[in-house]
Amino acid sequence: MSIATFVLRRLARGVLTIWFAVTVTFLLLRLLPGDPALAVASPNMTEAARAALLEQYGLDKPLIVQYGLYLVQLVQGNLGVSFTQSVPVLDVLMQRLPWTLLLTGTALVATVLVGVPLGVIAASKRGTVADRAVQVIGVVGQSLFVPSVGVLLLYTFGLVLGWLPIGGAYDTGTYGNEWYLSVLSHLVLPATSLVLIQLGSYVLTMRSTLIDALGEDYTTLAHANGLPARRVLWKHALRNALLPTTTLIGLQLGFLVGGAVLTETVFAYPGIGRGIYEAVTQLDFPVLQGAFLMLAATVVVVNMITDVIYGFLDPRVKTA
Amino acid sequence: MSADKTLGGAGTVPLSAAEAMTSTTAEPVADENGRASAATWRAFRREPLGLLAGGLLALLVFVAIAAPLLSPYPASFGENVLRPPGGGEWFGTDALGRSVYAEVVWGTQQSLLVAAAASLIAIAFGTLVAVVGAYFRSIDGFIGVVVDLTLSLPVLPLMILIAALVGPSTTTIILVVAAFSWPEVTRIVRSQALTVVNLPYVDAARLMTTSPVWIITKHVVPTVTPVIVVSVVVTASRAVLSAAGLAFLGLGDPTTWSWGRILYEAQQSGAMSSAWWLTLFPSLAILALVLSATLLSIAYNDARNPKSRRR
Repeated sequence: MSIATFVLRRLARGVLTIWFAVTVTFLLLRLLPGDPALAVASPNMTEAARAALLEQYGLDKPLIVQYGLYLVQLVQGNLGVSFTQSVPVLDVLMQRLPWTLLLTGTALVATVLVGVPLGVIAASKRGTVADRAVQVIGVVGQSLFVPSVGVLLLYTFGLVLGWLPIGGAYDTGTYGNEWYLSVLSHLVLPATSLVLIQLGSYVLTMRSTLIDALGEDYTTLAHANGLPARRVLWKHALRNALLPTTTLIGLQLGFLVGGAVLTETVFAYPGIGRGIYEAVTQLDFPVLQGAFLMLAATVVVVNMITDVIYGFLDPRVKTA
Repeated sequence: MSADKTLGGAGTVPLSAAEAMTSTTAEPVADENGRASAATWRAFRREPLGLLAGGLLALLVFVAIAAPLLSPYPASFGENVLRPPGGGEWFGTDALGRSVYAEVVWGTQQSLLVAAAASLIAIAFGTLVAVVGAYFRSIDGFIGVVVDLTLSLPVLPLMILIAALVGPSTTTIILVVAAFSWPEVTRIVRSQALTVVNLPYVDAARLMTTSPVWIITKHVVPTVTPVIVVSVVVTASRAVLSAAGLAFLGLGDPTTWSWGRILYEAQQSGAMSSAWWLTLFPSLAILALVLSATLLSIAYNDARNPKSRRR
């Protein structure tokens, strides 16, 4: 299989995933008990406006036709109109998307930068106190509830110590370099919360795949050839053990995004997640629907990128 | 036993703690054999961490059942608003003067109920899909795709959308959490079931009977039972987190107390960051439940695996 076929296959998979998300959303909106019109028509509308809106959305037509119309609208980028703000949902979300991308992107990079070395330490010093400590971090990390972690950090570093801001994404009235610094300082606590809940899976996966790699024949051969242990670990075993970790990034994305929704709520961070929280309070269904689809699309795109990187990293993809 | 089995298999795999801790998955061992399960139990009793986790879990179950004896229902509004812990109130009071201790105690019931009900539904459905798929290979491909697709989506925003549409109630939360937990169960059980259906004794069973139901219930399900046990625990602890997350966003059952609701009300009243006791105690309860469940599954896994048993 050439690399081109591999990339094409992954792209097709991404498109399939988005189609699946869209179809599930459509079926849920139309088939769940309750008025299907609820999802597009605000309860505060007059009867005439409501009827016009239902016709515009084709809600008076058979299900399959509605499905077709729904797909066409999504392709055109039409996610409906927010009840509360009376602006297109797409505009609302596009304003918020960069913040969510900044937060989750920072958290992801930091998690990998911290998690991989911790896993390497645990695997290479198997059975020692350091290994035990890393395993504890891994297991406890997987049991954490994001809002709890967020509030703990906010209380400690924001209120008691006063080192970092307790909410929002930047200070109003700052410009230039000052603005960047303010964005950075607002990012620290929410990103740390996300790193803490993600770290466990990365550390434990890294540890177990590296332990397996260290038991492989090629590692024994490298040792027998007289290579320094450090070189065998970092150059030979780690490079192979990193591949499953690359896959893990893609698999944890959905979980990361869910964590971001809760973290943004705690820190009043103006991303899509905080938007979801506000939309829940106001029962703004178009925003909730649009937010899910946009987050799903983001996850799929990032997944495709990691898949393609994987294809270039793993020589077996080209030869298989 | 290599990365291939833990990581290859179904293709896509966020490792749960239980899987990743023991880098070797135990070979399928039928637990019908009394001696094997007795050995597992003996090894388990020697693991202090597992017993500790079991004890903690038992304590939480006791609190849930005995809630009416431990505290009155936190309905009455007191005059002492936002009092820190001390005096007559162990855990302090909330913005409306209600006892946080009473809220946590009564919240245990709801949190355990949702976790147990959602994970049982998810386990039953997930196992059924996995086992039937593994046995009838023609539909397995379809099941694999659906599981992969669901697992790659951000499910919390989807759960939020549904819970908001249907309206928050205990039943809604149980069903929504179950609906998005079964693919994880299917993924874990399926990879195990796929190796089982190719074993010679299943072929032998095919010569004895033509009933797939009989083969599946008598041969496939008992063999994957240990995996199911682990996945009950993992699924239940994730269900706790999902339900708490929904409640934290205001989608919990507004008529009963849950740990997530205490956090939600703290957030709504604006006292969340200053009144630390409002967050600390429900958070500790969530951590205790999830952590003890995770440790229990790890201890069970280790005890079951002869390679990691202590000599």
